[in-house]
Amino acid sequence: MSGPAPILKVDKLCKAFGGIVVADNVDVTIDRGEILGLIGPNGAGKTSLFNLVSGVLKPDSGAIYLDGALVTGDPLYRRARSGVARTWQNMMLFKTMSVMENLLIAPRDYPGEKIGRLLLMTGRVRAAEQAAKARALGILDRLELGRAADANVTDLPFGHQKLIGLARALMNDGSLLLLDEPMAGVEGAAYETMQRVVREEAASGRAVCVVEHNVSFIKDLCTRAVFMAQGRILETGSVDDLLKSKVLTDLYFGV
Amino acid sequence: MEYILNIGVQVAIFIILASSYNLVIGYGGLASVAHPIFYAFGAYGASLLSIHFGVPAVLAVVAGGLIAALASVALALSSLRVSGDYLLIASLGFQLGFLQVIRNFDFTGGAGGLSTIPSTITGAYRTPAFLALTVSCAIATVWLISRIVQGPYGRAITAMRDEELAFTALGRNAMSIKVVVFAIGCGIAGIAGGLYAFYYQYVSPDQYEVLQSAAILTMVVLGGMGTTWGPVVGAILLIAVPQAITFLNLPPSVMAPVQGIIFTSLVLLFLFLRPSGLVGGSGSKPKVGSESATGATGAKT
Ligand SMILES: Nc1ncnc2c1ncn2[C@@H]1O[C@H](COP(=O)(O)OP(=O)(O)OP(=O)(O)O)[C@@H](O)[C@H]1O
Ligand SMILES: [Mg+2]
Repeated sequence: MSGPAPILKVDKLCKAFGGIVVADNVDVTIDRGEILGLIGPNGAGKTSLFNLVSGVLKPDSGAIYLDGALVTGDPLYRRARSGVARTWQNMMLFKTMSVMENLLIAPRDYPGEKIGRLLLMTGRVRAAEQAAKARALGILDRLELGRAADANVTDLPFGHQKLIGLARALMNDGSLLLLDEPMAGVEGAAYETMQRVVREEAASGRAVCVVEHNVSFIKDLCTRAVFMAQGRILETGSVDDLLKSKVLTDLYFGV
Repeated sequence: MEYILNIGVQVAIFIILASSYNLVIGYGGLASVAHPIFYAFGAYGASLLSIHFGVPAVLAVVAGGLIAALASVALALSSLRVSGDYLLIASLGFQLGFLQVIRNFDFTGGAGGLSTIPSTITGAYRTPAFLALTVSCAIATVWLISRIVQGPYGRAITAMRDEELAFTALGRNAMSIKVVVFAIGCGIAGIAGGLYAFYYQYVSPDQYEVLQSAAILTMVVLGGMGTTWGPVVGAILLIAVPQAITFLNLPPSVMAPVQGIIFTSLVLLFLFLRPSGLVGGSGSKPKVGSESATGATGAKT
């Protein structure tokens, strides 16, 4: 495959917690507009890979490039500003806050977090707030949750909370979107909505990576997927090929 | 009359202390116990600048606040890097350590304190003038803090306290917010110290003990942690009520225990009946800062 540089390039990434190896020479690339599936059994290191890419974890060795720029050593908060948007397996919503507030905190640029600007450049802060609010309402509408804007997040049903986790990530307009088990516990209308929005995001040019145990979801969305176990990438290929692979069926569905 | 005005000055100073401590612990979720030592930095800083260098009172008070803020940045940067919980221990050590320094240096007056602080306002209007000054500073403090904790900055503080890892992963700099909140809170405590020093013209190490930490914490908890008016109500109650009891003219042997009992039972009563304080909404728990570990404990099933 040739063409433009990938949005994400992970190069020989290694990470271990004591004896537990969560990343063992991991190489991954994701292109603009691509939805990459990441599958593997519990404890394979899928979430850890997200944590490495989003800056939560520091790798022991290896490199991470975002839009061609080396970001391996950047602190967590700067990784998001460089364009990594992500959701969490356990959502990690701000539980004392409303849906709208959860979203307003999430743009890449948030001038209101600088006390000097807050007190002296009120105009700039207010303009950013207005823009963020409009963006948040747009995203909530796409997720059919516009009416829930003022509700406290914890008052929403689980499936909707998952969508809010996605909505919050979408406030970051960066080039990479990481979704950690977006469908776990989600059914019915929220399921359809999730699929539609993930597709739209990829179509708009983002690189998306989805961790999911729900294989049919991966099959619907992804042309390419990666199979991981014990921190190692065992197979890469089309979803159909992966599902036919013996390594996967043994490890994933075996016994 | 003089007596009442004097209580007013005390109340105003403690409103400044309690409100600024509330910013640190109630809003910021920063579990420092060392608030009185920053109060001390302001008091000693302002006093020493004025005694030894003839710095005018207003400048000395401002400088005292800056000294306290700088000291707090040093404490925050060194301890918050380790973890949020570490601040509790580090701040205690910081307070006890600096109290020892103050006690043992001639420059700071040793255990006897400093009693040669120049008078700034003299004459019949001294106490009313100080009352006006300290009350103005208290109002300014409450206004500034409520301004900070509302709007985008307050939202950031709340989100940080709710889920620090997710907050940081969204691009927010939690460390910088903590340091800034801590510096503002402690700097304001320093200003309260300067006001105290010029009003009483006397400072001694005993006023900055851990007991004082407990008193300020009680004001915040009693009034309502994480609320604008809670610390104000708490400070008024905890300064004024014990003073009011002195009007009963009880013999001193009865007085001290009675004050102690009332104080303690008030605190216990409130902790049971209104955990969110007088001003806090009923039912909701006080928002004591919960620190999610700074490490990678994030996504677990
Ligand atoms: N911060 C940590 N400290 C120690 N061990 C960790 C840490 N994070 C993850 N692990 C361990 O690393 C292994 C991989 O965990 P990870 O969460 O990446 O798996 P996963 O593929 O996302 O699994 P699941 O499908 O259950 O979400 C597990 O054994 C886990 O216990
Ligand atoms: Mg996982």
